[in-house]
Amino acid sequence: MTPLLSLRHVSKTFGSGPRAVHAVRDVSFDVAQGECLAVVGESGSGKTTLANMILGVFGQSSGEIWFDGNGLPTRRTLEHRSAIQLVQQNPLSSLNPKRSVGASIRLGLDVFGIGARSDRWRLVEGALEEVGLPGDFRRRPPAALSGGQCQRVAIARALACQSRLVILDEPTSALDVLVQARVLRLLEDLRRVKGLSYVFITHDLSVVRNVADRVAVFRAGKLVECAETRAIFEDPQVDYTRQLIGAVPVVADDELKLRESLSGGMLA
Amino acid sequence: MSDVLEVRDLCLRFRGYSGMSEVLHGISLNVRAGERVALVGESGSGKSVTARIVLGLLQELPSAQVDGGLFFEGEDLNRLSRRQWQALRGTSISMIFQDPTSSLNPVFTIGTQFAEVLRRRDPKLSREAADERAGTLLQSVSIHDHARVLSAYPFQLSGGMNQRVVIAMALANHPSLLIADEPGTALDVTVQAQTLKLMHDLVERSGTAVLFISHNLGVVREFADRVFVIYRGRIVEQGPTPAIFEDPGHAYTRALMAAVPRITGGGLPELNDSESAFLDPMVVHEGGKA
Ligand SMILES: Nc1ncnc2c1ncn2[C@@H]1O[C@H](COP(=O)(O)OP(=O)(O)OP(=O)(O)O)[C@@H](O)[C@H]1O
Ligand SMILES: Nc1ncnc2c1ncn2[C@@H]1O[C@H](COP(=O)(O)OP(=O)(O)OP(=O)(O)O)[C@@H](O)[C@H]1O
Ligand SMILES: [Mg+2]
Ligand SMILES: [Mg+2]
Repeated sequence: MTPLLSLRHVSKTFGSGPRAVHAVRDVSFDVAQGECLAVVGESGSGKTTLANMILGVFGQSSGEIWFDGNGLPTRRTLEHRSAIQLVQQNPLSSLNPKRSVGASIRLGLDVFGIGARSDRWRLVEGALEEVGLPGDFRRRPPAALSGGQCQRVAIARALACQSRLVILDEPTSALDVLVQARVLRLLEDLRRVKGLSYVFITHDLSVVRNVADRVAVFRAGKLVECAETRAIFEDPQVDYTRQLIGAVPVVADDELKLRESLSGGMLA
Repeated sequence: MSDVLEVRDLCLRFRGYSGMSEVLHGISLNVRAGERVALVGESGSGKSVTARIVLGLLQELPSAQVDGGLFFEGEDLNRLSRRQWQALRGTSISMIFQDPTSSLNPVFTIGTQFAEVLRRRDPKLSREAADERAGTLLQSVSIHDHARVLSAYPFQLSGGMNQRVVIAMALANHPSLLIADEPGTALDVTVQAQTLKLMHDLVERSGTAVLFISHNLGVVREFADRVFVIYRGRIVEQGPTPAIFEDPGHAYTRALMAAVPRITGGGLPELNDSESAFLDPMVVHEGGKA
């Protein structure tokens, strides 16, 4: 089966000459339909840059990005724009401060022609309720919401667009673990029922362990390891992956044991 | 040890949207010198608004109605003039805001903004001297190409780099109270460990008091001396960190602990619907109260 998303030798350089920043260096990976690929790694290693290229915010410097068997042009069609959605890293600044959050969600429905016109406010309220917010929050501006409430609005907005691939950039960093569990379950259900695919960018390795099919580990713009989730956590091949897992803050004793077995780097 | 911050019976209401909404129903908490206190709890329960009230920011919003006692180093904050309160911000009291990108100004370089922060304490500081100090501070949060970062605009940096800039700024003027609202969300775990150590050292060395807001219970367990758990604008449990983690007494705290995803796997946690018990009276552990 052709993968839904394919990256082949993708690189991105900002600026030029001695001050150039090589944000992404020769990265290749696939995401199958219905798959959740976690992207983890160093801060500043190019994860958000990668997300922006897949979305078409800016083009890659070299390499190819394929979606559903076709090369993705830098200028995207309306169809591409509705098929690929992004939940941005900064919940508070990713929403238009001048619009009510309901209007922000509705905008996507209007542009992509989702649902009957008369039905759209109901869809907006339903989308809010699915992420645990009261429907009447739609009248509020982002400034009248908490960090985690904004983050949930951003998720609701992306999911309401009936896309096929959702790129989630730190989607649950501002949520308490109970609300987080609820949101993760919602994502899981959509994946099962509608075959949605996710690129799940996060620093929270405990979440990754429980939701991802595969994990891609980034460092300094490069993909250093990519494998099934279980293999990454139980038998990491690269020192950096081991260091990362060894530094995860944990709450339970059996977690400490796993961590210590890895951080020593003495794995068999 | 004396309290650096004391919040007594804090209430907050907002006018608008759907009439009056009550957000804080009488919150009391304290942070002593050299102590790290965590405030954890539900998304939307009132953690960030509490921080903004301590800074005197929410009081400037016409739709907000704030009542309750606020004391900083024994001084009644409510009796300060607006200018006096403002003068504390960024010097004696500093804050790391929840969204790093929106707390930086998009049209100035990091270097310019850093110099401005340093000049709050030291108005005559030259730009060269400011850049040098900023460079050292950035190094301490694992930013090694600090020359590039100082000449960059926020949009040219990653989420975690901006977050580290904001952390370095907050520590720059040796505050006596540091309020950190979700400071590690955009950091990988190794950088996060390093910034926590930095804050830890600051507490040990200068007796800074830290109020630490976080959803990451693993971090809280490793970093905090005491924990306050908040649910819907009420403190539901408080006590020393080991007591909260080993013997959580309140139904909400127990539900939180049970929902922490584990690095050992096991899938997503089951959600129990015992939400009515979340409104039970507060549980106070020995040593939890000053
Ligand atoms: N518009 C830009 N102009 C110049 N440099 C940029 C730009 N955007 C990103 N960079 C640089 O590219 C590198 C990768 O940034 P990116 O935001 O992709 O990192 P990240 O992996 O998402 O990190 P984090 O986990 O901290 O969010 C960084 O060094 C950053 O400074
Ligand atoms: N300007 C405002 N007008 C009306 N309601 C507001 C306003 N600002 C915040 N609120 C409400 O106050 C409550 C507390 O918000 P706060 O930002 O303190 O939450 P929080 O505990 O920090 O949550 P999170 O963990 O999601 O950041 C929220 O339910 C929010 O919707
Ligand atoms: Mg990023
Ligand atoms: Mg908050």
